[in-house]
Amino acid sequence: MDFAWTEEQAAFRKEVIRFARTELNDDLERRDREEEFPFDFWKKCAQFGIQGLPVPTEYGGGGADTLTTVCALEALGYGCKDNGFLFSLNAHMWTTVIPLMGFGTEEQKRKYLPKLISGEWIGLHCMTEPMSGSDAYSLRTRAERKGDRYVINGTKTFITNTIHGDLFIVFANVDPSKGANGVTGFLIEKGHPGLIVGKKLHKMGLRTSPMSEVALVDCEVPAENILGKEGSGQAIFTHSMEWERTCILASHLGMMQRLIETCVKYARERQQFGQPIGKYSAIANKIADMEVRLETGRLLLYKAAWLKSQGRHALREASMAKLYVSEATVQTCLDAIQIHGGYGYTTEYEMERDLRDAISGKIYSGTSEIQKVIIAGFQGL
Amino acid sequence: MTESTQPAVKDQIREFIQENLASVKGISSFRDDESLMDNGVIDSLGIFRLVSFLEENFGVRVSDEEINPENLKSVDSIEQLLIAKSKK
Repeated sequence: MDFAWTEEQAAFRKEVIRFARTELNDDLERRDREEEFPFDFWKKCAQFGIQGLPVPTEYGGGGADTLTTVCALEALGYGCKDNGFLFSLNAHMWTTVIPLMGFGTEEQKRKYLPKLISGEWIGLHCMTEPMSGSDAYSLRTRAERKGDRYVINGTKTFITNTIHGDLFIVFANVDPSKGANGVTGFLIEKGHPGLIVGKKLHKMGLRTSPMSEVALVDCEVPAENILGKEGSGQAIFTHSMEWERTCILASHLGMMQRLIETCVKYARERQQFGQPIGKYSAIANKIADMEVRLETGRLLLYKAAWLKSQGRHALREASMAKLYVSEATVQTCLDAIQIHGGYGYTTEYEMERDLRDAISGKIYSGTSEIQKVIIAGFQGL
Repeated sequence: MTESTQPAVKDQIREFIQENLASVKGISSFRDDESLMDNGVIDSLGIFRLVSFLEENFGVRVSDEEINPENLKSVDSIEQLLIAKSKK
């Protein structure tokens, strides 16, 4: 076991933090209030190489292994306070770029990956429906084969990146009699007839990340738009989720570290009853708990990333990391607010936004309850 | 893995599926050529439990592309996947 970053990874981490701090925080309070997605951040991240980090160099990517990728994402979460933007970035990487890499034909990869890496295009996937969330494969969207084409009809909801999205991976069932084995992924470009982006959904947190409904109305696509094979949607979606659950909360580790440092500074400076509040065990213990949660979360998340770097499957470990880090981040935000008292509750101190953003981590990419189902499922329960 | 080990391999696959995936769903028996996805024995989580079992017990790596219904639908197809991988 080796728990240290290499010199290269450590240097890269510092560079990402510097980049994130200086380039990815402008005007956040207003953008959060007005639910504005920062396009300029997207372009800057692409120029820095974030979107293409895990993509092989032959497609224009950075060719980084999974551990190096989560190292960078953690650094982003530490330096960038716009959790909504980071969520959009993650959704793009794990639900579009990664499945294209894993299941796309060479032609599909050559056509789409360079645009998705360069910042020119934004990707997303459409899985969740009004009547199918945790029970994802019970989706009702149908793709009916007509000769060498498919006609897709259905409604999707809670879809991230839609409003600015360019490439949609739409999951539909081609043969409901096969159940989950009929679920198939289709690549559909923005503006394709029958692909309709619906009303914007307003959220408690992650407000700088756009979310909306998507309708497919007689959306006719050629058979070559299938990602993978007919019926391989389940494998694609699980593949995406394994990556996403491993990596998406790396930025929360960075956020927790930032909150701890803010709390430690405040606990040293804030005087009550004649001494710094950090001298009181009520405060010091909270900070100790925050530290333990951060380190535990790191161990779980790095383990899942390490497994993937070794080319091994990590569905169980990814679920553990996702479950723990999401819950730990919410508690850390609550503790940070509590330590800061009335100040912590104000918008100016920014922790209330972190809390609103963090709560969604217990819901997206499989709720905490679903992660427990998966973990217990590996024990045959 | 050789041809001569086939019965043992198939027995192990069948035993794992029966004990870990089928019995919890109240399915007491299935044929080796029966689609375990169509009869509900192997669901999305079951696929990964099965893959973990294959990797740990037979020392193989099952790639993401190989995790598909054709390879994992039945005891026979799983055995064929292992044989094919052992020849690579």
